[in-house]
Amino acid sequence: MADTFELRDIEVWDGNMAASHALRQAQVDVVAAYPITPSTPIVENYANFKANGYIDGEFVMTESEHGAMSCCIGAAAAGGRVATATSSQGFALMVETLYSASGMRIPIVLNVVNRAIGAPLNVNGDHSDMYMGRDSGWIQIDCYNPQNVYDMNLIAFRVSEDHDVRLPAMVHQDGFMTSHTAQGVKTLSDEVAYNFVGEYKPMNDMLDLDHPVTHGVQTEEDWHFEHKARQQHALMTAVIPKIQAAFDDFEKLTGRKYNIVETYNMDDAEVAVVCMGTSVETAEEVSNELRAQGIKAGVVGIRVFRPFPLEQIAAALKDVKAIAALDRSSPHGTVGALFNELSGALFNTDTKAVMTNYIYGLGGRDLTKAHLVEIYNDLKANADAGKPTTPLQQYIGLRGPKLSFF
Amino acid sequence: MSEIKKIKNLKEFSTSADRFEGANLLCPGCAHSIIVREVLNATNDDLILAASTGCLEVCTAVYPYTSWDASWIHVGFENGSSAVAGAEAMYKALKTKGRLKQPDRTPKFVAFGGDGATYDIGFQWISGCFERGHNIMYVCLDNEVYANTGGQRSSSTPIGASATTTPAGSVSYGEKKNKKDMLAIMAAHGAPYVAQVAPNKWKDMVAKIQKGFAAEGPVYINAMSACTTEWKFAPEDTISISDLATDSLVFPLYEIIDGTQLNITYRPKNIIPVRDYLGAQGRFKHLFTKQYEYLIDEWQARVDAKWEYLQRREEASV
Amino acid sequence: MEKKGWDGFEIGAMLRSFEGAVSGIATILPEDRPYSASSSFTASVADWRIQKPLFNKDYCIDCQFCWVYCPDLSIISRDKKMVGIDFDHCKGCGICVQVCPTNPKSLLMFPEQIEEEVALAEWPTKNTSKATTEAKEE
Repeated sequence: MADTFELRDIEVWDGNMAASHALRQAQVDVVAAYPITPSTPIVENYANFKANGYIDGEFVMTESEHGAMSCCIGAAAAGGRVATATSSQGFALMVETLYSASGMRIPIVLNVVNRAIGAPLNVNGDHSDMYMGRDSGWIQIDCYNPQNVYDMNLIAFRVSEDHDVRLPAMVHQDGFMTSHTAQGVKTLSDEVAYNFVGEYKPMNDMLDLDHPVTHGVQTEEDWHFEHKARQQHALMTAVIPKIQAAFDDFEKLTGRKYNIVETYNMDDAEVAVVCMGTSVETAEEVSNELRAQGIKAGVVGIRVFRPFPLEQIAAALKDVKAIAALDRSSPHGTVGALFNELSGALFNTDTKAVMTNYIYGLGGRDLTKAHLVEIYNDLKANADAGKPTTPLQQYIGLRGPKLSFF
Repeated sequence: MSEIKKIKNLKEFSTSADRFEGANLLCPGCAHSIIVREVLNATNDDLILAASTGCLEVCTAVYPYTSWDASWIHVGFENGSSAVAGAEAMYKALKTKGRLKQPDRTPKFVAFGGDGATYDIGFQWISGCFERGHNIMYVCLDNEVYANTGGQRSSSTPIGASATTTPAGSVSYGEKKNKKDMLAIMAAHGAPYVAQVAPNKWKDMVAKIQKGFAAEGPVYINAMSACTTEWKFAPEDTISISDLATDSLVFPLYEIIDGTQLNITYRPKNIIPVRDYLGAQGRFKHLFTKQYEYLIDEWQARVDAKWEYLQRREEASV
Repeated sequence: MEKKGWDGFEIGAMLRSFEGAVSGIATILPEDRPYSASSSFTASVADWRIQKPLFNKDYCIDCQFCWVYCPDLSIISRDKKMVGIDFDHCKGCGICVQVCPTNPKSLLMFPEQIEEEVALAEWPTKNTSKATTEAKEE
């Protein structure tokens, strides 16, 4: 029996340590993983817990990320709690199996410590890997700081394993900016955390030897469409209510309130920045400063990226006059993904808001407060003019001549 | 450890209740199915199975039908080994934690893959599983070609075979490279047991599968699977072609224990010429022309040399 | 099988081999198994055949070569005796005939449409021109 880890009420943890402790407290049955910067410390910490008697589950160090997720799928299909972690190139290597996991309705929690994808090779944080996963059928929950990482991991197990859901979930944090930045993290005791996650309830488990099950069949044109529709139905209808219920219970337990769409200074906002990851907190700070200067600045943070909360986003933005969609991934040939998502959310609504797109922070480039001030000033001008006063897509924080499109 | 099933002769073996079903979509005369039956029927223990993408997989789990009477999973082309290793890890975890639903039963974990999934695309995953020492059996259904996708060469395709991506033609005799020695590679992992088997030698096969199940750690079985479609012979000849393969020593039957002790398990009473094996298959038809006939002698020399090597290895016991 | 709508499936395209719980399946014969409609046991590939094997009990020595080498689980053996052919699952490959060691063979291929009685009446007698193959277990 694993030892209890005595935690202080507030620990100084970086995002990786927060994830490691959440996995430990969830009493994951199998972690199969492959190290990759910046997610490596998650599995190193976990290995350390295992080496010191804090973990009863199996820890499998595979030969690649593809092998890790393949192992996770086999383990989860066998019937128990499974988690892993990865980043960037490793995430890219995993992609084939991500589709397998979701299509087979196998719950797994994957910590994605967001990092750029080469070439050129880069170890720092941007959202390229998160965006690469957006059509994979996984739930994608985004974190802004180590506290979020700890909390969202516990919540992710609950939602992913729910029998009405049975879909794998990614918990995203920004590489280095969250993963390696230590902050105060309010903890739960091992017992309280485990009780919140709950016991794993097997379903269609291969190890139930009296009920043989076939997983991973082939479906051709006469069946495939219906199966993919069923998967989409679960992702679209079951997940958001289950996340909301988990958020509600979590608030009762901890006092920490999370929302499907996070809003800050939005009650009377005229201009709003929509972003993810660590940028949310920077934008919040800037919005406060601009409010002192008379600009009614607000921030919308995406907490749940998949399923994309279309209606909640539209509701959060319905009264603003100008919106900036901030994308931390090179869109390679179109507008940023977030810009597209927001357009989809707002089209066919009554909004007359002007929306523009900013590409920022690639490969870990800082998004400074000055950049955000610049963005909010653009938005103010757009709001006053009632039309875009800038190109639709602008690169911000980039050296050289100003780069913009559309 | 569970009891080893008693199979002293074929009559006794025939009382087995198969856990693999008919009306699968494998070609008439496919050896895969014969091998799978012999493997599964070698034990009465519970089974947890995986298959990599390939003929066996696409023909036995096409919605809405499954041909498997034990839990079975397919994930992708390269990762049947990892999938079954994951299931084995979960078994260990749940055993430790006391959460197995049937704690008194010890399932065997078996993955099947074709030579494409084994020699080529899944090689890294298999190597990883063997290095980590999962308690699994990996069975390669070696038909020396990507049969499921229509006959492209793999690194198991032997020299001189005409495959769709190495076709024989006026200036080419087909595949140019010798078959990869997968058994030696898997033995080099220090696996407790690796063996080459053929379905026509059912008793040798069953004995090896039982040894494999009794071993602690990863076990590799290379099963020759004569392919009526891609080797180009009539479906009813699957067993006779297999006999030609084992009796010409093109597919010698042997085992390697703990990476070192090599035992030859079948010595043909009358060793037949490799020519007879090659001549029975359409994929080697072009070798029987003046232009390419020299390759037959080269084949024979290679087979003789390998047989000599195996005998010396056995004798040396190192 | 009925082609259900998208909301009529098990999640993940999961299939069950049996209805309900089955313990010790390795010792339960097909006739006693609660196969689900998803088991290919319940399906037929009879229409793949252009020729079919027929079985003449008079010559059979129950060596079980046909059983062990049948790729399609279509040789029905019970209590160490060959009892017949499963024509739902037989694809007509002819391996059983090839491996049959008796003289005359106890299994022969016939056109799919032939009546069994006609085939049995036409069964060849012992072929003395070739050396009789002894049925030996390998």
